[in-house]
Formats: sequence, C-alpha cells, structure tokens
Amino acid sequence: MSQRKSYAVGTGLFIVLGFAALAYLATQTTSIANSHQGASYSVDAQFANIGQLKERAPVKVAGVRVGQVQSITLEPGKDVADVTLSIDKKFAQIPVDSVATIYTSGLLGDQYVGIQFGNAKTYVAEGGHFGLTKSTQPLEDMLGKFLGGGSAADAIGGTYSVKANFTNVGTLSVGAPVKMAGVAIGSVASVKADPVKLDALVTMDIDKKYDQIPDDSAAAIFTSGLIGGQYVAIQPGGSPNSLKEGDQLVLTQSAMQLEDLIGKFLVNGSSSNSSNAGSNGSSNTPAGKH
Amino acid sequence: MTDPVHAKPDDRTLVRIRGLTTVLNGKTVFDKLDMDIPRGKVTAIMGPSGTGKTTLLKHITGQMRGKVGEVKVDGLNVPELARDQLFELRERIGYLFQNSALLTDFDVFENVAFPLRQHTKLPEVLIRNIVLTKLQAVGLRGAASLMPSELSGGMARRVALARAIVFDPMLILYDEPFVGLDPIALNQVLKLIRTLNETLCITSVLVAHELDAIKQVADHIYLIANGKVVAQGDPKTIADDGSPWTRQFFGGDADGPVPFQYPADDYAEALGFKQGAA
Amino acid sequence: MSAQVGRENVVLQSLAQIGACGLFLLRILASIPRSMRHAGETVRQLWFVGAMSLIIIMTCGLFVGLVLGLQLYYVLAIFGGTSASGSVVALAIYRELGPVVTGLLFAGRAGTSITAEIGLMRATDQIAAMEMMAVDPIAYVAAPRFLAGLIAMPLLCCVFCAMGIFGGHLVGVSWLGVDNGTFWSNMTANVDMWKDVINSVIWKSAAFGAVISLIAVFQGYTTAPTSEGVAYATTRTVVASSIAILALDFVLTAFLM
Repeated sequence: MSQRKSYAVGTGLFIVLGFAALAYLATQTTSIANSHQGASYSVDAQFANIGQLKERAPVKVAGVRVGQVQSITLEPGKDVADVTLSIDKKFAQIPVDSVATIYTSGLLGDQYVGIQFGNAKTYVAEGGHFGLTKSTQPLEDMLGKFLGGGSAADAIGGTYSVKANFTNVGTLSVGAPVKMAGVAIGSVASVKADPVKLDALVTMDIDKKYDQIPDDSAAAIFTSGLIGGQYVAIQPGGSPNSLKEGDQLVLTQSAMQLEDLIGKFLVNGSSSNSSNAGSNGSSNTPAGKH
Repeated sequence: MTDPVHAKPDDRTLVRIRGLTTVLNGKTVFDKLDMDIPRGKVTAIMGPSGTGKTTLLKHITGQMRGKVGEVKVDGLNVPELARDQLFELRERIGYLFQNSALLTDFDVFENVAFPLRQHTKLPEVLIRNIVLTKLQAVGLRGAASLMPSELSGGMARRVALARAIVFDPMLILYDEPFVGLDPIALNQVLKLIRTLNETLCITSVLVAHELDAIKQVADHIYLIANGKVVAQGDPKTIADDGSPWTRQFFGGDADGPVPFQYPADDYAEALGFKQGAA
Repeated sequence: MSAQVGRENVVLQSLAQIGACGLFLLRILASIPRSMRHAGETVRQLWFVGAMSLIIIMTCGLFVGLVLGLQLYYVLAIFGGTSASGSVVALAIYRELGPVVTGLLFAGRAGTSITAEIGLMRATDQIAAMEMMAVDPIAYVAAPRFLAGLIAMPLLCCVFCAMGIFGGHLVGVSWLGVDNGTFWSNMTANVDMWKDVINSVIWKSAAFGAVISLIAVFQGYTTAPTSEGVAYATTRTVVASSIAILALDFVLTAFLM
C-alpha cells in the first residue's frame, strides 16, 4: 500500500510540474504577458502612415515599455490613421507636447510607438491626444518592412472602382492591396496593358466607406519590405471634390524597381573595389540589365 | 434442449457437455463431444498432445464459445451467456494456469488479494485474514511479501492455487498442474488438490499427462482423442478396457492409433525412387 | 506478379490493422466508465508513463532549444534580425518541434514499454488470468494506460517547451548576446496564447498522446504470445506511432492554423 502511495505522490508532483510549465508558457512567453498590466489610460494619436504597426505593439519611453497599442482605425473620410495607445497609470506624467513616433526595432524587427517628452508642465490624461506625431520613416517604406503587405480590406460595404495608368507596375498583381496612410482600403481588380497609351491600366476597387478621397490624389506602387509583395498607395491631394466610380487618377508614380536600387549599390561596391575613380559615373549607368 | 434452465441442486453432474463441435483453423478439434463431470469429484481429462484438452477447459469457462452443442455449468449454458452473466459465473470458477500467470506487478499477498479487491469492498482486515488463510492452506504464508519473480515454479503454482480458491469456488480447473515440477513439489500440489477437494468439496477438473499422479488423485478419467471420448472409467479399470487407444496411451507405445508419422505424402516418391519421377 | 499480390496484401493488412485499432479504441472508450473503479491503476500508469519520461523529455527539450537558438541566430544574423530570435525559437518550438519531438520521444520511451509490458502479460497468460478472475482486462490494463498517455503527453509537452525556451534563451542571451529584454518582448509580442499554446501545444500533444498510447496498447494486446511476437510488436509500435504522429501533425496543422 505504501508503494502505491509513493506512486500517487510522484504522479501528483509530475502533474503539478506539467501545469507549472504550462502556466509559465502562457504567462511569460505569450501576448498575455503584455496584457496583464494594471490600470491604464488611453491616449489618441494620429499618424499619416502607420506602416506595419500592429495592435498590441509596445509603446516605449526612452526604450522602456510603458504601454501598448490598443487599436488602429482609419476613419472614413480622413487620410490619417487613428491610433489609440493604452499607457500604464504608473507613467501618468507624460507632457502634452510630447512627440509620438513610429519606430522599427532593427531593420527587420517589429514596429513600436516611441514617445519623446516635451517641456510642457501639463500632462496627458485619459482620452488625451498627442498633437505631434511622426510616421514611419521613408527609408523603411522602401526597404524596411519585412512582413507582407497586409491583407486587402474587406469589401462588405460595397466598392467603387477607380483607374490609374502606370508606366511600370513591377510585379503588382490582381488582389494586391490598395492602401492609404498604410491602411488597406481596397484591392487591385485588374492590371491590363493599354494598347493606345502603351502603359499599364490598373483598376482598383475601393471600399465605399472611403468615398471622400480627393480626386487629385496620387497613386504610387510601393513594395512592402525587401521580399514583400507590391501594393498601390494613395497619397491624398487637396481637391474639394471626391473620387467617384470610374474616375481616373492622373498623378501616378510607378514601381521603383528594387533590382535597380540594389543593382546600383552592387555596381557601386564592385566598381569602387576595382577603381575608386568614376564611381559616380558608374552608378548612373542603367543597372540591372539582366 | 428441454432441460430446465437451472439444474436441481442435487444434480450430481456439475458440467454437462453435449454434442460439442469445434473447428479451429479448418481443423476439427471436437466432433460431437459428450462429457459429464460429476459434482464434488476429481475428474482427470487425458489424451495425446494437441487433442484440445486446454481448449475444452476454455469452453467450460467461456473463453472460447463453440458454435454447435451445449456446455452447461451448474445449469447455465455457457455459449449463450451474456458477458455480465459469464463474469458472474467465472467468479465461482477457479482456474489454475499452466504457467501460474501471477501478476508480475504485485507481490504474493496482493496477487492473492487481487480478486477480492476487484470484486468486493471488504475491509482491509478481513482481506488480510482471508488471504493469509489461503496462503496458509498452500503453505506459503511466510512468502506473502515476495515478488513473483522470486518464486520457484512449484511455489508460484501454489500461490496461483491460493488465488484460485480465494473466493471458495464451486469448480477448479487445473491446466497441466504438474508440468515442470520436481517430485517434491509435484507431491505437494497433488496433496493440495486432494485436500481442497475433500475439505471444501470443490469439484476439480485436471488436465494432465502424468499417469502415476493422476492415478493417485482422480476419481474418474476421460481419455479423449480425435475430438471424441475414446475411453472413460475410474483409474483402476480404465487401462483394462482393451481398446487400442488405452493400450497405446497407458502402455506408452510409440505407434498405434496415434501414428508416429505426421501425415505426409508417399515416402518413396518424396525421395524420388518411384518410377516416372525425375 | 507475386510482388503485386504481396503489395496488395500489405495494403489490405494495414487497412485491417487500422480498422482493428479503431474498433479497439471503441472498446477502450466503452470501458472507461468501468475503469474508473481502477483509478489507482491510472495514477500508477501516469507515474510510469509520464513521470518516468520526464528526464529524457527535459534533456531533449533543453538541447533542442540550444540547437535552435544557435542555428536561428546565425540565420537571422544574415538579415540583421537577431532580435527576432526569441519569437522564432518560441514559435518553432510551440508550433512544431514541441509536440512532434515530444511525441516521438514518448513513443520511444513510453509506447514501447507499454507494448512490451502488455505483450508479456499476454504471453504469460496474465491477461487470460484476469479474464478468468472476472476482471475485464480492457478496463484494467488497456484503459488506464490509454488515459495515462492522453494526460501525460500535454504535460510532458509543456515541460519540453519550457526547457526549449530556456535553452534558446541560454544560447541567444547568455552566450550570443541578444538583448534580454528584446528577446522576451519579441517573443511575447508574437506568440499568441490561443493559437500557439492552447491549439498547438495542448491539443496537438493530447491528440498525439491518444494516438501513441492507443497504438502501444493495441500492439501489446494483440501481440502473438511469444518472445518474437513481443519484439515484433514493440518495433511496430515505434514505426506505426512515428508515422501516425507526422501524418496527424500535418492534418492537425492544416485544421488548427
């Protein structure tokens, strides 16, 4: 009988150890570790481009985590992303004129919101607002963001289509997202060669929610990250009239060929090895003639 | 088939087998076998190897179910019993396996206590007393704390016997109880079978080859061969019935009704001596 | 011609085995209410199957974490993304390596011992003796081991994952100098409680545990009662459960992701 009791004790220990391991995994290594913060207050900030910022991304002051991104929304009719930050009550003394910036941890790391303190004597409170924001860096727009282009917006509310001509669409394909301020607002419906103008005609389906895009907005083809897919970015203009079904976007910027960019770097590097002179000249020669 | 479902308590036959026919892997093991095992006696079943003596015991306990014929134990027809009824019946039957079949995880005491623990909720004191009584009966009370791996073959068989009688069954089936025992152990087991039969009035069925041992212990002997009972009687008279089976079996002749040669094709042909071959 | 017949037989035999295994599972499930009477036996099996596998699981978990930390560090260093090593180690362990490697180790450590034990019980008539003592061997022998495997695997897998994370941290942070805070914050930002820990670690490993212990019990229970039979059944347990784990892993990944 005592033999059996020792089995029971050992087995009990084993079960406790197993559950302790599970508790450790759950609380220390998953997103729960971030959400079990105590009391917090939320603050709004508007960004022209949130890049790859995601919900639950950390909010940091001087590199130290003080909270997380609660929600990211794009209000219909606006061209800026609304980001709600939830900040620990512990860090209640953040000056109102502080600057919220979207940073990337490392070249390929995830993005987070950094806050640089201002000098004001008043502090942001619950429901407050950061007036000064800096969006993701343009360099990162070209090279940085690693993780895919994001999914296209769902088109539950119906869509309207807009056309744009590009001299080069790169690898843009049907279904690629159409983004404004980094948030997906629609998708590419078709990519065709225009037989008359001899360029590419791209038709985009844009969610009806976003029906107040100025009709002089520009469309550009960007690549999300080094190996990411391409997407169409809408840069809003200033016209009082909005885009309607069947409209044409006149201002376009074609795909920047990453091969060209990288090729230039490579040619530069190799030519500087062989001869220091004329490196500027060689960078001007059309690269990537493969 | 018109027999009442339950036998009268004064029925002198405990196990009644009628017209049992069994076919295993295309080989007929029993061919319309009839057999009666008397209540309160020691019955021995003998026969050449491979005649299905162990199979017969499995029929009695319902481990195997014949398709044709009936096997009635205490009035219950075994092949027709539902699982629960069969388990109820088995609680009243002890079975001694050829290799003892002690549970290797438990010591001697727990092995004997196992059926009690599984089927009753007796208090620990009572279990202890019953187990020690049974172990005392087989002379192994002092070995209660040993593990099965520490027992000799004879001791293991006695422990298995103690386990088989822990519920005071009405019937004990011994499958080759004397195999591999030295003369001393053999006589101990022999004495136990006799004593248990006399003191507890347990009906015993023995399957064995040891003629001398069986002559000492059995009241009735069945000799089966080719799926039939070929001879029966008490130990003194059975050898003298004059049939070729008994003469070969009890005389120990190498050849007879049970052939020395396993059935084969023509010898001369197999060696290539026959004309036309090769 | 004869080879073709042989191949057909192999296919038919495998199908027959799978079918018999499924029927056996139904018998075990049906006997679970009765096996509750032998709860002590289930606890005892949990000790043999689970607690006795801890050492090998912990050692292997640690080494898998160490190797993973090292390998991924050098790959990520090419892209300048070593800060992501925490999340990559955690995701690799949670989603695939944890359940699969634990399953393979469990099949080797516990599955074989279950098969060999039941096979020997069969060979020494202990199973038949239980039948004769009116104890249902499915409820007393098979069901407790099946339940023990089902319960032990998720627990072992959690221990394995924790050791793997510890190993990855040891190499990444203590040795190769990834920043401690980056390591953890990257992990916590990318590992999802529901998708990665519950769905992958817990459900997957529970499914593997059920399959391994079912195969082990089935092979032991249906083994030929000879020494060759037991040896053959033990080998089959390892082969069949390894194949089953990897095949099931694919199916479960497709469904749970």
